[in-house]
Amino acid sequence: MVSFWKLRQSPNFRFAMLTLPGALFLLIFLVLPLISILIFSFWRTESYQLIADWNIENYKTILGQKTYLTFMWRSLVMAVSVSLVCLIYAYPVAYLVAKRGGRYRLILVLLTAAPFFTGIILRVTAMQQILGPIGLLNMALQTFGFEPIQILMYSNVASAIGLVYLWIPFMVLAIYLSLLNFNFELLEVAYVNGAKPWRAFLEITWPLNWIGTAIGIVLVFIPTFAAFVTPRFLGGVNGALYGNILEHQFGATGTWALGSAMGVVLFFICLIFIMIIWRTINLQRSGYTGEEF
Amino acid sequence: MAAVSPKERVVVVSQSSLLVFLYIFLYFPIFFIIYVSFVDNTVWPFPPVFTWEWYERLWIMSDFHLGLLNSFLIGIGTGALSSIFAASAAIGLLKYQSRLRGLFAVLYLSPLFVAGILIGISSLMFHRNILGLPGNLTSAILANTTQALSFAFLVILAQLTRYDWRMDEAAMVFGARPARCFWEVTLPTIWPSVLGAFLVSFILAFNNLEVTFYNVGAIPTLPTIAWGTLRHGIEPELYSLATVINGLVFFILIILFFLIRLGFVRLGYRGQ
Amino acid sequence: MSAALPHHLTSLQLRDIAMTEPALKLEQVEKSFDKVRAVDKVSLEVNTGEFFSLLGPSGSGKTTLLRIIAGLETPGNGTVHIGGRDVTRLPPYARGIGMVFQDFLLFPHKIVADNIIFPLKMQRLPEDKQKEQLNWILSLVRMEGYEDRYPHQLSGGQKQRVALARGLVSRPDILLLDEPLANLDLELRKEMEVEMRRFQAELDIPFIYVTHNQEEALTLSSRMAVMHNGKFEQVGAKLDLYNNPKTRFVAAFLGSPNYIQGQIKRMEGTIAILDWRGLDLRIPAPANATSGDKIDYFLKHERILIQSLRESEPAKGENRFEGTLRDIIFKGQHSAYFVVLENGEELVVNAATEMPSLKIRHAVEVGWLPEAGDAFLKEED
Repeated sequence: MVSFWKLRQSPNFRFAMLTLPGALFLLIFLVLPLISILIFSFWRTESYQLIADWNIENYKTILGQKTYLTFMWRSLVMAVSVSLVCLIYAYPVAYLVAKRGGRYRLILVLLTAAPFFTGIILRVTAMQQILGPIGLLNMALQTFGFEPIQILMYSNVASAIGLVYLWIPFMVLAIYLSLLNFNFELLEVAYVNGAKPWRAFLEITWPLNWIGTAIGIVLVFIPTFAAFVTPRFLGGVNGALYGNILEHQFGATGTWALGSAMGVVLFFICLIFIMIIWRTINLQRSGYTGEEF
Repeated sequence: MAAVSPKERVVVVSQSSLLVFLYIFLYFPIFFIIYVSFVDNTVWPFPPVFTWEWYERLWIMSDFHLGLLNSFLIGIGTGALSSIFAASAAIGLLKYQSRLRGLFAVLYLSPLFVAGILIGISSLMFHRNILGLPGNLTSAILANTTQALSFAFLVILAQLTRYDWRMDEAAMVFGARPARCFWEVTLPTIWPSVLGAFLVSFILAFNNLEVTFYNVGAIPTLPTIAWGTLRHGIEPELYSLATVINGLVFFILIILFFLIRLGFVRLGYRGQ
Repeated sequence: MSAALPHHLTSLQLRDIAMTEPALKLEQVEKSFDKVRAVDKVSLEVNTGEFFSLLGPSGSGKTTLLRIIAGLETPGNGTVHIGGRDVTRLPPYARGIGMVFQDFLLFPHKIVADNIIFPLKMQRLPEDKQKEQLNWILSLVRMEGYEDRYPHQLSGGQKQRVALARGLVSRPDILLLDEPLANLDLELRKEMEVEMRRFQAELDIPFIYVTHNQEEALTLSSRMAVMHNGKFEQVGAKLDLYNNPKTRFVAAFLGSPNYIQGQIKRMEGTIAILDWRGLDLRIPAPANATSGDKIDYFLKHERILIQSLRESEPAKGENRFEGTLRDIIFKGQHSAYFVVLENGEELVVNAATEMPSLKIRHAVEVGWLPEAGDAFLKEED
């Protein structure tokens, strides 16, 4: 009884009581499912049934057949370019809001984040209403006697615009949050010591905010790489990406095992990307003080 | 705004135009779709011919009411689970200086770095083949919570870092037992962030497609209805549906904005 | 389960015990964090009516000791008695103490009145009693009319008064104060020092006051302890500590004295002659000192006489040196005089501000009796 009383009072016990429920939930409903598709990926499917017949055929299919590799490559190009566009566009915007937003910066940044909450499907619908063949843009062009712009209609460019539209809020938010904790006076120190603004940005602002920026890049890269809704409705005939064939395995064809393997591959590609980004991060040099929170 | 040199002014003006263009880029499609939902000539709505037809069609759509209800249920279930788990975890992580806090923080944030479709299909496979749980609301809530939990955790963490835990010590010294201490001091100060976390996870789950779609079985929700409709080409009902959802989201975001402000006021005080 | 005594009983019933028992008794209290001894076998008794200060530099363990008394840390070893009751294993909420925290830690979501009656509410005192106590304490701390304000609507000094009121409202057996003045500006600090002494005297509750500011400790307390590396260096009446430091640390810490290092040339009974970089200096010989020993000698600024050359004859046995006045720093009624001696060493002397005969860059004379300073054998590191 006494020892239980002491245990209940110990900070470690209370820490465990508060943090374990959610952690267990995540272990059961996030980690275990991921492990389960890893297992299923070594099985095979026969007429919509999973059969525990261990093999690596699924991986041979994905990594050996040209079609799958093509989709993977397309998704990769798409994810890298969308991340880059978001980065280049979001940085000056986040910078402006963080530095000069003053008392309005909370509302200014929330306005960039708000559309994220309306959901993927509605935002893609909205985008299609603008870019699609009977969308506003083409109808306007036709009404005024111009040719429709083919490249914006059912193409990879349209997909890319849609994906930037979907995920740029993450990039703005991540960079903004980083800049919020950035001491802009450090730039004045650089100016006083003779650095031109551009140089000061490269020497001070960029490296000191790289963690936030990197998080933004990863947060845009991953959903873009796995995208299936956007390419489906904006990408047209040749616009299908990796996410679309992944989705296909769980839809009409019902090839669960192959789908699982594709999911595992998707997971590891994202993981490798995170690792590469992680290697560029040096906590100490980023002004990290050792206090996580 | 502080005085700026001409050169700086050029920079500020160009940054501001980028910001304004971003707002237009983000909001024009949304407002356009709202506008179109009220007109008959949806393809080229100039000049507009106003109509309520798309709302009437939406209203009599067989799945709409059920979908709305289901989305609400998924949102509330996910919101409740996520905010409770997240609040408890954030308090534990910030209040007790455990050596494991870094590890737990990584675990709680990891769902942010897993693609939504991956959560969707892996939950589907796990629930169906291992738990024997068919696609239904429960299954969808469980799957959505994994992802929403991270967002809820971030929302609470962002505000809770400003909370001074010595406040709890003060309450204890003056005679409050831990439970009393939580109700009298901790909760009254942090509730805006917990409610904020609930609302954020509610919206995410309410609107979620890629996780819900794979885990809800044949039960309709608003996003899956929209997804089904969209596959057959754009139907004008989608515009009215989008407008309804956007209205709801907008309403919740306004509440959220005031909660954040309130949270900062409540937690920002540090005796100075 | 260790049931807590209701506080409103303790303060009344145990007051009788408190007449005979010390209000606070620590015995061999120890606390380690990761093998670092934060508090190292500390014993202490504080009686009712005492204003007791725990003085020490940061990291000396004084805050940990206070937190052990409050129950916010559990000691690894040793016992804590408050009002004659063993509270070592009791959680903070069962100890019936009052506390004032460094940043006041008022509850930001409660108005002043609710902040102050919080301890009474926890004791389930009837509401009319709560009201009564509230009015009484508000008038004591002179905060009538502020009941309905929120903490963020108060000035620093007002927050401090509310924090004190909250600490005192239940008439606890003991009031702990953790650097309560650290965040106030100088003027307010002076005002609150006077007020705290008044509260303490009127209520007759013992105050345990933790601070790193020796001026505060010397101004406020009746008794004090100097803490260093988790141990008490010396405990006693404040003037006793100031005038007769028993350890090298206390001598070096209190009064921030001149620090003189040298080697004993020879002994003359109770006096040792020190070689201080070429000057012969007479000091009281520390116990067991012999010639050749290295010595630390601490000399408080105000114990040195300063005058123009040969203004008076040296007394018998007095150290007398000539030097050059380098600078004078005005500090109000007294000034600090910086004198460079012939051996290149500099002494700081506190003396009256009005000394027209002393001019910067002119020769002066300084003098003191050996007993004016405190000598210790140099510690081997």
